[in-house]
Amino acid sequence: MTVDDSRTSEVLGEVNDMINKITRKYGSPPVQVTMDTFFHSELELESIDLVTLGVMLAERYGDDVSMAEFLADKDLDDVIALRVGEVVDYVVSCLDVPTTVD
Amino acid sequence: MPTIRVHDTDIHYLHTPGRPSENPAPTLVCIHGLGTDSLASFYLTLAAPLAAAGVDMLFYDLRGHGNSGRPSSGYQVGDFVADLEGLLSELDVRPPVHLIGNSFGGTVAFGFAAAHPDKVASLVSIESEPPTEQWALRVGEVLENSKHELSRAETYQLISLQFGDHHARLSRQAYRRLAETSMVEEIPSGPMLDLTDLSRITVPVLNIVGSDGFQSDDPYLLEGVLPDCQTVVIQDQDHSVLVEAHRQVRDLLLDWVFSHHPVAAAPGAQA
Repeated sequence: MTVDDSRTSEVLGEVNDMINKITRKYGSPPVQVTMDTFFHSELELESIDLVTLGVMLAERYGDDVSMAEFLADKDLDDVIALRVGEVVDYVVSCLDVPTTVD
Repeated sequence: MPTIRVHDTDIHYLHTPGRPSENPAPTLVCIHGLGTDSLASFYLTLAAPLAAAGVDMLFYDLRGHGNSGRPSSGYQVGDFVADLEGLLSELDVRPPVHLIGNSFGGTVAFGFAAAHPDKVASLVSIESEPPTEQWALRVGEVLENSKHELSRAETYQLISLQFGDHHARLSRQAYRRLAETSMVEEIPSGPMLDLTDLSRITVPVLNIVGSDGFQSDDPYLLEGVLPDCQTVVIQDQDHSVLVEAHRQVRDLLLDWVFSHHPVAAAPGAQA
């Protein structure tokens, strides 16, 4: 596993936990998301849930991770077709990637 | 998820602070529309570019919408205006503020400007109009029809076929809001503004409409009844101009905010 793969896997795990916190409030059963999971068509999340996820990500990784910035230049169709992996890749791109892995 | 208690309802809000300044520009308060709308439509389109330009912004979910509380009643325009007044007060937002309202959010903004003229620096109305008796008649019909149509299973099949499952799901949520609250009955009721009230809304108003939107019959109507109003028609757009043409709306807002507070426009602010 490369450094990037490791970091991506770590962020995906955290995003999975955050998404489960959000879906729990709708009474949905636990989900296991992958990089290919669609926010809207599969998880049935709405744009307000993306805002909530953005707040959680900023609390966890700092204000440099901004869902508003990530989505600001996307069109509505792109947001509707958003996959978990796109958000994970964005978060990873915002983080300082370490040169070694323990 | 920040919420604050206003008039017995938890109001969900997000604040993106502006650039520190000795003479800060007024806070820009974004008010979304009815039904399936939430603060997300503003936050996900405008927060990043306007924050990067140094603008202090407040987004919130109207009662009954998004992540705010959903009381069973209390949905007259005056209730929404009172919520905004309470929210600004509770959060200690220094007036005057710029109000930006999309659809029904603009109606709330006009109501607020009429009730609290000293607290408003300017108003941007997107596909919206003030709460007049004529508006109440139209919105009342739309709400009644929506509630009736959305109570039928066939409607969701049609929406799915025409617009996709995403929109059908949103429509189900909208129906729950209409069915579980008194919005349909209350929104068109209560005190409305007349021509004299409108003539007293002296703050500058920017009226953004889509060429195929709700005001396509007479996009310039508001200029005739408001003392200081200018209209921008965005071509080939309907009522969804905020999300469908968000880059144009963003540029109009940046120009508007900085033209009304030039001091805030730091070098490179509009990059």
